[in-house]
Amino acid sequence: MHHFPRGPLLAVFRSPACSETMKKSKAESSEVFEKSAVRFKGVGNRLRISLDPEVSPEVLCQELDRLLSSLNHPLDKARVFIDTGETDDKNLIGEIAAYLKKHYGVSSAGPPETITPGTKLLETQVSETQTKDTEESVRRREMDSSSWHRQHSEVLMLSGRVRSGQKVAARNHLVILGDVNPGAEVMAGGDILIIGSLLGTAIAGQPDNEAAIVLALDFRPTQVQIGSFVAAGPPSSPGKIIEFAHVEQENIVVEKYLEANPFSRLPWPVAR
Amino acid sequence: MDGKIIVVTSGKGGVGKTTATASLGAALALEGNKVAVVDMDIGLRNLDVVMGLENRIVFNVVDAVKGNCKLKQAAIKDRRVENLYLIPASQSDNKDVLNPEEMVKFGKMLRRHFDIVLIDCPAGIERGFENSVVSADEALVICTPEVSAVRDADRVIGLLYARSITPKLIVNRIIPQMVENGDMLSHTDMVDVLSIELIGLVEMDDHVVISTNTGMPLVLQKNSKAGEAFRRIAMRLNGNTDVPIQVPQSQKSIFKKIRNKLGIGG
Repeated sequence: MHHFPRGPLLAVFRSPACSETMKKSKAESSEVFEKSAVRFKGVGNRLRISLDPEVSPEVLCQELDRLLSSLNHPLDKARVFIDTGETDDKNLIGEIAAYLKKHYGVSSAGPPETITPGTKLLETQVSETQTKDTEESVRRREMDSSSWHRQHSEVLMLSGRVRSGQKVAARNHLVILGDVNPGAEVMAGGDILIIGSLLGTAIAGQPDNEAAIVLALDFRPTQVQIGSFVAAGPPSSPGKIIEFAHVEQENIVVEKYLEANPFSRLPWPVAR
Repeated sequence: MDGKIIVVTSGKGGVGKTTATASLGAALALEGNKVAVVDMDIGLRNLDVVMGLENRIVFNVVDAVKGNCKLKQAAIKDRRVENLYLIPASQSDNKDVLNPEEMVKFGKMLRRHFDIVLIDCPAGIERGFENSVVSADEALVICTPEVSAVRDADRVIGLLYARSITPKLIVNRIIPQMVENGDMLSHTDMVDVLSIELIGLVEMDDHVVISTNTGMPLVLQKNSKAGEAFRRIAMRLNGNTDVPIQVPQSQKSIFKKIRNKLGIGG
């Protein structure tokens, strides 16, 4: 799992034309972005415009015209943050804000709201931000990369019995509605969940995801591997108990799932 | 005539494929079917010995498949059981002399001449297995109550499913006393893991050894529990699905049952 930097609200601006350009530039090279004097990023109806303070306001306005016309996205009523980088040139921001309000009908334009502690918001924005505080925190949580709102969890879900000699491999998580017989092998880049009996070999978190788990309703595996750790099948517990294996201090540990309930302490649903 | 081809297979060796093939062949013939049993264990032929027909072999399955002889010449008629024919394996060749395409053609020819064809599949899952199953319509998986046999049977079942053949299970060599003591896998455990239809349970029986050595068909021997079990399996194969599957019981437990019923002792 990788975390995007917290802080300024960043996301791909959701206009078809724009997302197209974003994708392209991302794919081709980042230099294009580096060189251009104006850059867009946005979320919802908010647009963040990064300006190069070295460039004269006239040139910036031209550049804005060019980009906005190519985006073909109306900025009517949009709220815009203008970011001049570390220089924080208020004159430039004011000038560009006025320009955007006049020509594109944006509802508000000002310096960026930063979440970094210690940075004070400009007075003109305070009232607005206060009313939007709760909304903002929800939005921020949603923007967190680990939230499920914007995450697609890749899962290979199969039903049936995996027999001896058969091999099932999933790039990320693997769910099997059925049994895994002795001599069968199930492998996954992430977690392995067997909704049935696990009697074969389960290899989770390949190649190096040690946070992966192996769970089965009837946990009697021949062998379990998580990341680079290997464990021979544990002595089977009497009866069919839902158990799972995970890595704890460089060891594979098997616990009763309902008793351990490892994910109960997470404050809100998080994508795995 | 358009018969069906049933392959008898197991994956693991020594679980009783050949005995089962010979016994089921004889039992099905006694039911009135024209039956051919084909030994596909080329290079290690032994179905002829089990059936007591080794001294009458002139042509073998390789000759028949390659067209060196007619099917009639290769099929040896059993003298004790009417309508039972053996097509023996070649002892001098190896499994690579035949290929699956030839076997498909040979299967078509067999279906024209016989009601039921039982193919004795060699152990393993290589060429010999492929040649045996390629023309089969149905499959019987023989498995003994051992973990290793179950593992191999499971593998073979997977391979059969991959060929769109739904196999049926025969559990062979059950020792009821050991199952009761918990020293042997029970057939329910095996069905749980293999999850295919059970068609018969065969008890461990000394008569099998006698029959194999003398070449006398097991199903003709009286008081043979294994022989009776194979006859019941043959009836089920013949479409008589009402025949119940009897779970082998040890003598002791029968007495216990009677005692329990009468309410004597505990």
